[in-house]
Amino acid sequence: MRQLSSGALLDSIRGVHWPARRVIGGAFQGAHRSSRVGSSPEFMQYRAYQQGDDPTKIDWKLFGRTERVAIRLAHDDSSLGTMVVVDASASMAFPSDTWAKWELAASVALALVAIAHGDNDPAGIAIVGGGDTRALPPRTRRGTVANVLKLLLEAAPSGSAPLAPVLASVRTSKRVALVSDFLGDADALLDAARELVARGRAVYAVHVAATEELDPQPRGDVVSDPEDATLTRPLDSATVPEYREAFAAWRGRLAADWRAAGVSYTFATTAETPERVVRRIVAP
Amino acid sequence: MTFLAPVYLAVAGGLAALVVALHLIVTRDPATVPLPTARFVPDRPVRARARAFKLRDVLLLLCRAGLVLSAGAALAQPIPTPRRRPLARIVMADRSGSVADAAAVRDSANALLSPGDALMPFDSAASTGSISAALVTAFRTAVTMRDEADSLELTIVSAFGAEELDQATDSIRALWPGAIRLVRVAGRTDTVAAPDVVLVGGADDPLRYALSPARGTAEAGVRIMRGALAVADSAWAGAGNRVLVLWPASAIAAAQDTVGAVSTEEVTVVASFARGAREAPPAGRVVARWVDGAPAAVESVHGAGCIRTVNIPVPSDGDLVLDPRFQRLASRLAGPCGPPTLFTPVDDSRLAALAGTETSLRVPSNAIGRPRMVRSPLTPWLLAGALFLGLGELLLRRRRRSAESSEERS
Repeated sequence: MRQLSSGALLDSIRGVHWPARRVIGGAFQGAHRSSRVGSSPEFMQYRAYQQGDDPTKIDWKLFGRTERVAIRLAHDDSSLGTMVVVDASASMAFPSDTWAKWELAASVALALVAIAHGDNDPAGIAIVGGGDTRALPPRTRRGTVANVLKLLLEAAPSGSAPLAPVLASVRTSKRVALVSDFLGDADALLDAARELVARGRAVYAVHVAATEELDPQPRGDVVSDPEDATLTRPLDSATVPEYREAFAAWRGRLAADWRAAGVSYTFATTAETPERVVRRIVAP
Repeated sequence: MTFLAPVYLAVAGGLAALVVALHLIVTRDPATVPLPTARFVPDRPVRARARAFKLRDVLLLLCRAGLVLSAGAALAQPIPTPRRRPLARIVMADRSGSVADAAAVRDSANALLSPGDALMPFDSAASTGSISAALVTAFRTAVTMRDEADSLELTIVSAFGAEELDQATDSIRALWPGAIRLVRVAGRTDTVAAPDVVLVGGADDPLRYALSPARGTAEAGVRIMRGALAVADSAWAGAGNRVLVLWPASAIAAAQDTVGAVSTEEVTVVASFARGAREAPPAGRVVARWVDGAPAAVESVHGAGCIRTVNIPVPSDGDLVLDPRFQRLASRLAGPCGPPTLFTPVDDSRLAALAGTETSLRVPSNAIGRPRMVRSPLTPWLLAGALFLGLGELLLRRRRRSAESSEERS
């Protein structure tokens, strides 16, 4: 967690923006193009005055030139409430000596919150696992990033709490980022994401994995699932190739399913720096 | 320390060695490492078990080996045995009246005895010794001493008078599995020579064959009258220490019934005697009786001598008169006045039979008596120790298991 607390991550993403991928509707002023017509100086079009329109919106200069009563329409900018849901189950505490997987997930989550907050978007976080769910609602106030950092530093991955109920409960935020290894309730999570997408939310899925998971070194030992002690399998030179093949196939299916659901899916490993991962996520 | 069933100890030793071997080659569970993506590993039986040729769980091993050895030792029934001597002697010292000098017996016995040996005086000085009874007592003593020595030796210090041996002596002697050392001391010195006997009767009187021939002394001390008694005969008897034996030869002719045996203090003769008419016996000391208790010979004092009336028929048919027992009976009836006080040494053949034909005087102690039921005093303690070790082993195993589970949880 040294990377989180050092501040180097936040410095590295300074100036990075996380634009909305499509026009959004929103009442609050922000940095993102809103679907609503507002008072922005950026002209959009003229529309003939209709009964019920605000007479103050009539462009009198246009009336003077063309004698047509029309109102001036302009783009409106809106803020984008962002909620980052981080998986803090026991499977994230891997490798057991470095917790590199959790550190990557926490760094990415902090960076996303910081970028959103930097765009004047309300940003919040929900850490699922470690005994209970600790959440910070989306806010724009100063100190939000520091509070998120504090929450992340206090969290310790453990247990096997499901992510899907938390994801389904995110209703106010228009942008939801999910950082997880998807080894828990992956199917229920995908259903919840589909529902969010259907409700017009922008959903980002960040799949983190450790390099030790991608290429485990056979030591002739037995491996066990941290979230299911009854699941033990022998990992040796004979089983590693089959393992790699099965794991890769599962990742492929996972990415395809999430992308098919309209989710922005990003796969990240601990071999990458959090900054690089974040830049791939927020890239338009 | 000896073991009644050492095979159990050997088995326990083997099991203990097996326990040690199992601790040496025990298979340990392979180290389990967490891998969140373990579900993608093919589901195959966990067969990774490493053999650690290193002694593990020394305390547990000691408990288990001790448990096995204690149980085996308990089943083997250890018997703490005292230090055994190579030889223990049982010396039977004759204190009967047959011995001339009791000091000689004592000296002879002391020369043989060493500390821990058993000295068994038999019979009092007032009575006649019985070697048969003494042998029975010696055998019982030998049974009690069998655990104290590797070998036992039996010695009899006696004058070995003929009266000290009886018909049971040979049978009792046969029970001793080895030779017997016989130390002979001098017999009584009151031995007197048997007087010459004069038989006044027919030349073909069968009684002549039963009596010892006269030694040809100047004057006979015993006169056996087979016919009528004369006054001069009774005067002859009363004139000196002489014996007049009235043993009429007509007893058979006047037979009234038959009787199976007649006996004196020294000898019993079993034969079919045709007993004469039952008349009141003369007053005096009964010398011989019929088997039914009736007096067969009575002796009465007459002057300086005595008159002995014998109502025992001497058959002319058969070879009864040649029977040694009848000859001893006749000799007794033709003996001096008074009760028999003669010391008769046992003959050499009987003495050799008593000594035995075995080559060794030493008898292995395990050949004496029947095996007795022996219970090991250590067995309950060893079983208790095994139980204690078993409980300790259980506690150690539980403690190790809880430690392992706590490690897994952490």
